[in-house]
This record gives sequence, C-alpha cells and structure tokens, in this order.
Amino acid sequence: MSPLTTLGLAASSLIERPLRTLLTSLGIIIGVAAVYAMLSIGEGTKREVEKQLSSMASRSFTIWPDWNRRRTSQSKPSFPFKESDVEEIRNIAGVFAATGSLQRNSTTISTEIGDTTANFLGVDPDYLKSGGQEMLAGENISYTDIEQSAPVVVISDGIQKTLFKNQDPIGLPIKVNNITFTVKGVTTAPDSNISFGGNADMFVWAPTSSARNRIIGGNPYVRNHIRSIRVIGDIGANFPQIEQEINIIMRRSRDIKTGAPPDYRIFSSRGWQERNAKSQKTISYLLAAMGAISLLVGGVGVMNIMLVSVTERTREIGLRMAMGAQKSDIMSQFLAEALLICVLSGLIGLGAGYGLSQISLGSEEIKMVFSSKIALLSFGSALLIGVIFGFLPARRAARLNPIEALRHE
Amino acid sequence: MKLPLIKCNDLTKVYKMGQSEVYALNGVSLEITKGEFVAIIGSSGSGKSTLMNMLGGLDKPSSGEIRINGENLSTMSGKKLAQFRNVTIGFVFQQFQLLPKKTAHKNVSLPLQYRRPKPDNIDASVKKGLEMVGLADRAAHRPTELSGGQQQRVAIARALVGNPQVLLADEPTGALDSKTSEAIMTLLQDLNRQGITIIVITHEDEVAAYAERVIEFRDGEIISDHIKKAA
Ligand SMILES: Nc1ncnc2c1ncn2[C@@H]1O[C@H](COP(=O)(O)OP(=O)(O)OP(=O)(O)O)[C@@H](O)[C@H]1O
Ligand SMILES: [Mg+2]
Repeated sequence: MSPLTTLGLAASSLIERPLRTLLTSLGIIIGVAAVYAMLSIGEGTKREVEKQLSSMASRSFTIWPDWNRRRTSQSKPSFPFKESDVEEIRNIAGVFAATGSLQRNSTTISTEIGDTTANFLGVDPDYLKSGGQEMLAGENISYTDIEQSAPVVVISDGIQKTLFKNQDPIGLPIKVNNITFTVKGVTTAPDSNISFGGNADMFVWAPTSSARNRIIGGNPYVRNHIRSIRVIGDIGANFPQIEQEINIIMRRSRDIKTGAPPDYRIFSSRGWQERNAKSQKTISYLLAAMGAISLLVGGVGVMNIMLVSVTERTREIGLRMAMGAQKSDIMSQFLAEALLICVLSGLIGLGAGYGLSQISLGSEEIKMVFSSKIALLSFGSALLIGVIFGFLPARRAARLNPIEALRHE
Repeated sequence: MKLPLIKCNDLTKVYKMGQSEVYALNGVSLEITKGEFVAIIGSSGSGKSTLMNMLGGLDKPSSGEIRINGENLSTMSGKKLAQFRNVTIGFVFQQFQLLPKKTAHKNVSLPLQYRRPKPDNIDASVKKGLEMVGLADRAAHRPTELSGGQQQRVAIARALVGNPQVLLADEPTGALDSKTSEAIMTLLQDLNRQGITIIVITHEDEVAAYAERVIEFRDGEIISDHIKKAA
C-alpha cells in the first residue's frame, strides 16, 4: 500500500469518528501548547535576565565610606577616598570604567535667562562613560581640566532646555552658587537605574578639582578627596574577582589591618539579580516539566484510544489481512493514524501556544518569545509521542491472527 | 488430463487443548482442477472451515502440504502469503464482512488497494465488478443501506475484483433466506461458467446442488467425493 493511500486511510478513519478524534487530540493540543508556552516563557525570562545582567546598572559597584562607624578604641572614623584609589581600580582587569565623584544636591544654577535647582557633581572623564551617557554637543571633561582646576562644566539637556532655551550653550557662562563657570558640553541625563532622587534630569558636572576648590570645599583629613567611587565591569567580566581586587586596593590604601573590618562598603545589585535569574530558571524548568507531563498524559490518551480502536476494528483488520494486507500495511495504517492525530494536534497546539505568546507580549510580568527552535522542539515532542504511544497499538493490530480476527464479535 | 490447480497431500491440523489433542483435519488429500465448482459439506466441527482457511493461505497445516499452482503454501513467508491471498484468492464470508462506514465502491476496491504494484485502473475494475453482480447503481451506498443479498453480492464483487483464480466461500448463504440464496448461487454458477474455480462450504443440500462436485467431511476426514456427470 502506498504511503499516500495509508495516510488517506488514517485520515478517513479519524474523520469517521470526529468526536473521539477531537477529544483525543485535546490532550496533545494542551500538552504541546503548554510545552511551547513554558519553553517560550523560560526563553523570554532568560533573555530578560541576560539583558538585565548586561545593563550598566547590573555591572556596577558603588563604593562608599562607611559613615555609620563610630570612633572606638580600635577603629578610626571613616574618611573619604582619594583620587589615586580611583586610578588603581581603573587598572583592574575587566573594569570598563571607574570614576570618582563629589556631589552636592540642590545647588542653585543660574544664567541670564533664569535659575533652577540641580544636582552638582565633581567628576572625572570616566563618569559619563559609566553612566551610559552620550555627548550631545561640545566636549566631555578632561584630565587637563582636572589638573588645571578649570572653571568649566558639562550640563544635562534638561538644564540646557530650562536655562538656555534655544541658544547654543557651548562657551556661555553659567553660575553655580553665584560662581561663574563656562559650559563646555551638553549630555543626556544619566541612566535612570542610578537614582538621584529629585531633579532627575537636572545635572551640572564640573572637574573634581574645580568642584572641590570652588563649590564643595576640601576635606580636613584627605587631600584631593572623593566622596564615592563607581566601577563598571565589562560585559561577562568576573565580578567576584573584581570585587576582591577592589577590596585589596582599598584595604591597602586605607591602611586596614588584616582581619579588621573594612571602613567602606561596596554595593552591588548583581548578587540579587543572579539569584533572581536562578530562581526564574528553576521556575521555567518546573513549568516545562509540567508541560511535558501533560504531553505525556495526552500521549497515554492517544495510546488508550488507539488500543480501543484496534479492538473495535479487529474484524476489519482480519478482513484486510484476508484481502492481502501485509503486517506492515496494518502496522503503518494504525501508526499513521496515531501520528496524524499527534501532528494535527501538535500544529493546533503550536498555534494556541503562539496565540498565548502574542497575548503575553502586552503583559509586563510574563515575557514569551517566539523561536523556531522552541516551536520545533514542542512539535517534535508531539511527533515523538505519536510514534511512542502509537507503536504498541499498531503492533498489536499487525500481530492479530486473521482467522480469529474475522470471528471477533 | 488437466494439471490440478490445488493439490493437498495428507493434511492434518491438530489443536492442543490442554492434555487432549483435537484433529480438526486428519489426513486430507485432495485435488481440484481449474474451473471446477466444488461444494464441501459435512456436519458442524468436521473441519470444513479449517481446510478452507488453509487453501486461502490464512492458516498453516500441522503436517502435509498444499500446493496451489505448484507453489507450496506451507513454506511461504507471511509476506508471500499475503500477496498470494491478494492475487490468487477471493474470499466470501458468511457474515459478508463489509466495512460499515465505507461505500460499496470503497468496499469492493479493498483488494486492489493492497495490490503491488498499484493498479492504475482501480475505479474501472470496481465498476466492472459491481456490474457483474448487478449492483452498478448501488456503488455509492453503504452496507447499512443494502439488503443482505445485496451486501453478499458486494462481497462477491470484492472477491472478484482482483481477478483471483479461486473463489473461496464459507457458507455464503448462511445468513440469507432461501430465495436470496438461490440468486447468490446462480450468480456463483454464472461466474464459474466464465472460468473461475469456486469452492463453497455449505450445510444446505439445495446449495450443494449447484456444484458439479460435492465433497463430504466427517471428523476431519473426507468420507465421500462425487463428481456429477456433465449435463
Ligand atoms: N482455534 C481453534 N482452537 C481449537 N480448536 C479449534 C480451533 N479452530 C477450530 N477448532 C476445532 O477444529 C474442529 C474443526 O473446526 P472447523 O471450524 O473447521 O469446523 P467446520 O466444519 O467449519 O464447522 P461449522 O460447520 O460449524 O463451521 C472443531 O472441532 C473445532 O472445535
Ligand atoms: Mg465452519
């Protein structure tokens, strides 16, 4: 019997029993849709996590002096960092950017047009790089500016809009607490993941030295002090290793004895993000396992109905054998039936799964992605179920004795 | 002297039932020539169906050999036997054995679906088959829409459609009334006149009367074998 005839035979037998076919396929449809949905949720979550883990915020460490430490007999009070600390950290392998900054929130900024409150920071050239910011006009602060304590600033585009209207601000004067600086460049506001509280898009950046000397003031204990350090690792860098090296540099620089607690703190969002990613991965495996189980149950349903079908059609099988059907003809007839039902249900299940993933695109909590790999995997599993669970009934049919089969009631 | 189409030599069939053995056939030797119309009679359990299943390649003897067209059925592989059934034999059953959800046309085409290589004029052959049994106008009907006699005629058309050399009918009139039985037997007689060898199992003497040769079985053995004088 030709494969096409066999397929036609299988199809007509499914069509002759529409309700049974529908009910049987339901198990596989749900199974495939579940496997597809679960895998694509898993994949979506994975991509989301990867995106998070490669973002600037998740690759960053922020180092602060531990201001909560009290003076005791064993420990000195905490004190700010030095500019040289930043330079040492910048040289660690896998560090993309390291920047030290001084900060003064709620500073009054004014031009001829008006005034506003903004965040004023003393920074080095790495600062913009570490915040994922881009220059919109003019130039970034340079090391020469720091050396010369130049009275220049870079402003955020928010400041440009408010205080310069439509003018090109480059080279124009701007007053910070009534002290005059010259605008050197305009840049975007920093990554929103790094919070500055209010005034989220109002920023003025000056070279560390000029900010210290002209606005913020020096520190009695540390020359050229820095209030906080931000470190960004390369994508895929060894973050624990970087953190360890930062600790070595800091302990040496701050003269902390071996075994003594540090007087600074390193903040990293990476830890909880990695834990989060891991638990999401576990959840998606769990869901995929559930999908696989429903597929399995669907497969058992197919086997059950095929066994019933073989029993019901025993006389038909005997007749076909008497008419010259070979064992292989009978075998392929029933196998084709099981496969066809699984393939069709698999396709419908895929459609349902895809529909679900389209709906989920609008939702924030669930991220599903369409990938042909996942589609193939879930469809393939339906096919596999068809072969595995169709085999036993088909073999039983092919092994029937024609004489007994013809006598079957 | 014509060469025998079917030649059975000392056939036995033994069924083991626990300790005891049942001889369904006990040393049957038989020759049937091409073109004969044979009736096999005998009481219930005498081995008629057992012999017929062996002639049709559905069963194998415990000992002895069957040759049809010189080929030994007892040593054929399952695959060869299936092909043999398809090409050489046409079966007619007491219970018709039609597929209830298929039309008469589909039912008749069944043997041709298993023919290798696939014949390219299946529809024409099926039409011809249905014409031979006088049911050309019922091709699209399902078995439930046909009378018993019509169903058996569809079954006969199915047995004939592959141009077999032998038609084996196990009580073909067993489920029919006497008038319909007559019609079926007349049909078989016509077919026999066109050259096909026919072997019919029956309980009824009226049915056996249509045959040229009557073989009687008792307890797995042939007890008589009469050939009627040609008219
Ligand atoms: N599968 C089997 N297992 C055991 N015994 C069997 C089997 N098939 C047939 N027999 C026995 O073989 C003997 C012959 O059976 P067979 O069917 O050939 O009889 P029959 O002449 O066709 O009878 P009937 O006229 O009732 O159809 C019987 O005694 C029967 O019980
Ligand atoms: Mg019988």
